[in-house]
Amino acid sequence: MTAFGPELAPGSRAGAAAMTSAARKGRSLWDDALRRLLRNRAAVGSMAVLAVLVLAAVVGPFLTPFTYDQLNKQDVWVAPLTHGHLLGTDSLGRDLLARLLIGLRVSLAVGVVATCVSLVIGVAWGASAGYLGGRIDEVMMRVVDVLYSLPFIFFVILLMVTFGRNFILMFVAIGAVEWLTMARIVRGQTLSLRHKEFVEAARAAGVSSGRIVLRHIVPNLLGPVVVYVTLTIPGVILAESFLSFLGLGVQEPLTSLGTLISTGAQDMELAPWLLIFPSIVMVVTLMCFNFIGDGLRDAIDPKDR
Amino acid sequence: MRLALAAAAAALVLAGCGQSGGGAQRSVCPPGKLCFHAANQNDPETLDPAKGSLVIEDNIISDMFVGLVTDDAAGQPIPGAAESWTTSPDGLTWTFKLRPHVWSDGVPVTADDVVFSLRRLADPKTAAQYAYFIYPIKNAQEINGGKAAPETLGVEALDDRTVRITLLHPVPYLPELLKHQSTYVLPAHVIRKWGDAWVNPGHIVSNGPYTLASWRLGDKIRLVKNPRFYDAANVCLDEVYYYPIADINSAERQVLRGELDMSNSLRSSRVEYLRKVAPDYVHTHTYLGVGYLAVNTNIPALKDKRVRLALDMALDREFYAEKLFRAGELPAYGFTPPGVANYPGGVKAYFAGWPLERRQAEARRLLAEAGYGPKNPLKLEILYSPGGSQTTIVPAIQADWRQIGVQASLAQAEGQILFSSLNARNFQVGVAGWIADYNDANTFLYLLKSTTGPQNYGDYKNPIYDALLDKADNEPDLQKRAAYLMQAEKIMVDDAANLPFYFWISRNLVNPNVSGWIDNIVDHHRKRWLCFKDADARRSAPRS
Repeated sequence: MTAFGPELAPGSRAGAAAMTSAARKGRSLWDDALRRLLRNRAAVGSMAVLAVLVLAAVVGPFLTPFTYDQLNKQDVWVAPLTHGHLLGTDSLGRDLLARLLIGLRVSLAVGVVATCVSLVIGVAWGASAGYLGGRIDEVMMRVVDVLYSLPFIFFVILLMVTFGRNFILMFVAIGAVEWLTMARIVRGQTLSLRHKEFVEAARAAGVSSGRIVLRHIVPNLLGPVVVYVTLTIPGVILAESFLSFLGLGVQEPLTSLGTLISTGAQDMELAPWLLIFPSIVMVVTLMCFNFIGDGLRDAIDPKDR
Repeated sequence: MRLALAAAAAALVLAGCGQSGGGAQRSVCPPGKLCFHAANQNDPETLDPAKGSLVIEDNIISDMFVGLVTDDAAGQPIPGAAESWTTSPDGLTWTFKLRPHVWSDGVPVTADDVVFSLRRLADPKTAAQYAYFIYPIKNAQEINGGKAAPETLGVEALDDRTVRITLLHPVPYLPELLKHQSTYVLPAHVIRKWGDAWVNPGHIVSNGPYTLASWRLGDKIRLVKNPRFYDAANVCLDEVYYYPIADINSAERQVLRGELDMSNSLRSSRVEYLRKVAPDYVHTHTYLGVGYLAVNTNIPALKDKRVRLALDMALDREFYAEKLFRAGELPAYGFTPPGVANYPGGVKAYFAGWPLERRQAEARRLLAEAGYGPKNPLKLEILYSPGGSQTTIVPAIQADWRQIGVQASLAQAEGQILFSSLNARNFQVGVAGWIADYNDANTFLYLLKSTTGPQNYGDYKNPIYDALLDKADNEPDLQKRAAYLMQAEKIMVDDAANLPFYFWISRNLVNPNVSGWIDNIVDHHRKRWLCFKDADARRSAPRS
């Protein structure tokens, strides 16, 4: 969506070449944002680290000599760097590296999927409420207010108890709670956008409400939404860890970062590596997401700097 | 008796995720008094002795009440509310002479109270889980089944201080039964007045060393010394506090910091470490408890003895006991723990001596014979409760079964839900445990009798087994009786009626300043026997 962006003058160095080419290429707001993002060292570094982590989570489990659910009965609780276990083993003799990678995969998956759920619900809800306005808006936002007042953890525990432990359900449950803030942000943005000239123009041209929301409102919301998403992912990973720490997380032998930390904490005097390595991975992952989110906010919304 | 498998998850939330505080703030002890602070994993469901079934309830109830027989410091039966008893030569009639003593409200304890308590236990209206406990008493089973009136129970008051109990068959371990919480003597006058509300603070009166002073749910239970207790002169501790601390790591830290005087649970994997850093605190002892997998024989696949045996053989019990628990637990190839009274024990499944590889090969062969193989793998669900000491073992069982081609999935259920699922047969394989209710092999072997009801989780039915147990019941000679019981156990174990995997040990963390503590096989530590080594100093120099 570059329709309403101010056309920027071509850069001076590229000027001559650009002038001669038939189609003069403009720089959109998004190009600008990208440029600002790439100048942010912390964000770029974080993206690199995160890319490595994601790669490790996706392909890593195929490369480790041990699988995450394989018991090595002779090597219970061995320290890092013994008998081929780079990060040591846990109380069942399972290789910590393999478990860490699978745990990272699960945590990232929970983060991404739950955030997507919250994204879809939140944007649809908020944009509809904001655009339709009036009484519908009132009702929809009061629903959000009511749901806001439900304590998150109790809501998730209630879901778990009712529907039983289920990996997929946990994604959905967390996502279904996280969408509330998203809906509020999106509604606020929509309210300010719905009276903009280009929306008026579309309406005058006879475009239907649904199409206006999809084609004109939502794309213009993307900035704050993208920022919020990158900040939601670590929030969700933390929430999952919290649930796992309470024993409501994923089922054995599958694991997640939170579960690893929880079990590691129980025996930290005996086997500190079981606590240290998962904690480091967790902290690094969360920090990456937060730096990227920060960088994105600075890039997309320069006013806020 | 069921172990209270604390629902670590939910309870953690309720305790405010308190690692440091844990909801249990040590109470301020009144100046000049001796207070004992104990961690108890959870709040009791009830303090009614007849209705309780959990160890955490027994801990508290047994400090408040004494039965006809009671525990000494080592958990051995000694005269309690009865000062003496005699047995008829045929072992069927027992006459108990009550000790002259009073309830904490001053009303004398009479033979009528004893009759009332046992009738109440048998009465189906009470819905006591342990009603079956007194089935050896004449008419108890009929009364509990609604076929006879409670008044017909074979327990009579001959006079104010004499009770006669008539049995169906000789029960040499009757004193053991009568020191179990379900058979305690209850105050008939209070129960008649208040009904079920008699256990509330303010109403409840007891005949034991302590009385209930207050109960704040989720916070603490406070017991104070009963000055009217018959042996009050020898009770050292003035007040006993029980704190429901579900997080056993938190309880452990509070004991080590001196905030609590004892914790009656300790994760097995911690024992090795604690023995190093706090050797004076750690108490472990053989214990009459067994961890086992209940196998639901109503499931067609598990009805097949070959499948059960295959599952049984594949368990690497040595690994569980030595590498996972590593606190001194023993691998279990039989169901009755070593050390049970009147029982030489040592019954083992026929494959007990085989190396693991041979067991696995045989298990695969049995499974193939039963029609399962790589193309048609056996799929099972293991139901267990998170948070318990047994949780660590579940992934190991799953991995061991994978070795013989069985695909086991795991299902977690909170403690209460687990027990109701087991009772309702709504499971395939369930992780269970059993702690002896009395020191006799019968408390274990009884579980698999077809007439036992809910607690025979797997619905194991074997007429030969039942007949042998009945024969043992009617055998007055202890050695012959033991022979019958061992024969029965051998049949059951070779049938893989359930899959025992380890014998427990008791694990307590006790402040070394506590005196009078005796480690014992039933893990009963009644507070009336305990004191502090610096009791005199504490009394004269009160501290908070």
